[in-house]
Amino acid sequence: MQQNHYDILIFDGLGEVSMSSQTVNTVEDIFDSSLNLEDTHYKEGYSEGYTDGLSSGKDEGNQVGLKTGFEVGEELGFYRGCIEVWNAAILVEPTCFSSRVQKNIKQMDELLRKYPFPDPENESATDTIDSLRLKFRTISATLNIRLEYDGYPKASTIDKSGF
Amino acid sequence: MNFADGEFELKEIQKLEGHTDRVWSVAWKPATGINGVPAVFASCSGDKTVRIWEQDSTGSFHCQAVLDETHTRTVRSCAWSPTGKFLATASFDATTAVWENVGVDFECVSTLEGHDNEVKSVSWNKEGSLLATCGRDKSVWIWEVLPGNEFDCVSVLQGHTQDVKMVQWNPSMDALFSCSYDNTIKVWVEDGDSDDWHCIQTLGESNSDDLTIKIWSDIDKSQDWHKNAPWKHVCTLSGYHDRTIFSIHWSREGIIASGAADNAICLFVENNDNEVDGPTYKLLLKKEKAHEMDVNCVQWNSGDRRLLASASDDGTVKIWELVRLSGQKL
Repeated sequence: MQQNHYDILIFDGLGEVSMSSQTVNTVEDIFDSSLNLEDTHYKEGYSEGYTDGLSSGKDEGNQVGLKTGFEVGEELGFYRGCIEVWNAAILVEPTCFSSRVQKNIKQMDELLRKYPFPDPENESATDTIDSLRLKFRTISATLNIRLEYDGYPKASTIDKSGF
Repeated sequence: MNFADGEFELKEIQKLEGHTDRVWSVAWKPATGINGVPAVFASCSGDKTVRIWEQDSTGSFHCQAVLDETHTRTVRSCAWSPTGKFLATASFDATTAVWENVGVDFECVSTLEGHDNEVKSVSWNKEGSLLATCGRDKSVWIWEVLPGNEFDCVSVLQGHTQDVKMVQWNPSMDALFSCSYDNTIKVWVEDGDSDDWHCIQTLGESNSDDLTIKIWSDIDKSQDWHKNAPWKHVCTLSGYHDRTIFSIHWSREGIIASGAADNAICLFVENNDNEVDGPTYKLLLKKEKAHEMDVNCVQWNSGDRRLLASASDDGTVKIWELVRLSGQKL
């Protein structure tokens, strides 16, 4: 089938001109393309937006990923540090911590090793970090230490209502 | 004892003043008020102190000790260990203090920290080997009592989605009950001996301020706590208080006392007339204007007289006795 290329100029009611370039099938009514103009513009606009969005979205994603990754890494690194210090203390003085605390430290160590570093979209990541936070609070409460990780999100803030 | 025959009265024995802010809670010291041992109880208040009251030979109570300069905010709840040797006090300052009672002296021997904010309730288990606390940070903490007044944090239980208002151990086994503003009651048990506590049942059939009293039973008497959800709702008492009910306590003989924001105290007994399956309860009496303000706590003494202590927003503690209307003691 022979195909012709048409450049079509359309004058709308406001005297504005839009141009649409189409390759049409000559057997079809050449005004098909003008009837579909709104649709065509919509599709073009969509595809331009999509391409733009892809690139700016990627930039934003990079930034969010960097920020979140840093925060998570910093917190996990803090826990790793605590575990190393506690293990070192146990090596020097095996009775410095009760057996329950030592068990908790071991469990915290295992949790940390299980954290899916290479796979950030793994669902177990949130569960693991929640368990880690809980273990950390349990151990610090028993040891009576007020060690806090600054970035740690607290459950709630001071409430003066008094009930 | 059949409470159906005869009329009863909740007689006010004494009004105890001393606290300078609302009194939140009272707790009778175990094994007092019986066998010749004078009755003793603790009261805790928004004035940041805990007061210890003792009954003398004439039957009136006086303040034996004031535990102060420890908590920096309201003391919301207090609980004696089963032997009465220790008193644990839970405070809005996010700590729980443990006091050792030697003779008439009380010394703070430990401070449990860990909650992020206000601690609302504290409870000892039957053996006195475990202590549970809960608070506005939505968590329930379990502590083990070790020699030398050391406390190990066994577990931090998360599951409630709002402020946890109260914890209570089952008096016959190590199952912990917690209730919360999220309108649920959770039952927690330990998996073997592993320090792994988890929730085996969530009871969520009502709102916290729906003005009713609900009764639950483990009627199946299943031994296998860990697999089954044994607690079932068996009875609701409604229409007796027209404001929020804050406190409820069962006496040794099965009389239920309730205290509410309508300033009243109600007493209920089991109704044996009905042919309905399962227990039902009926109102024995309602003491209107028991206090000038909200009644925050009611607690029966488990001694030889039917004594009830009540704590109120009006800053007083009242001691009541349940007697027959003729004035004779039961």
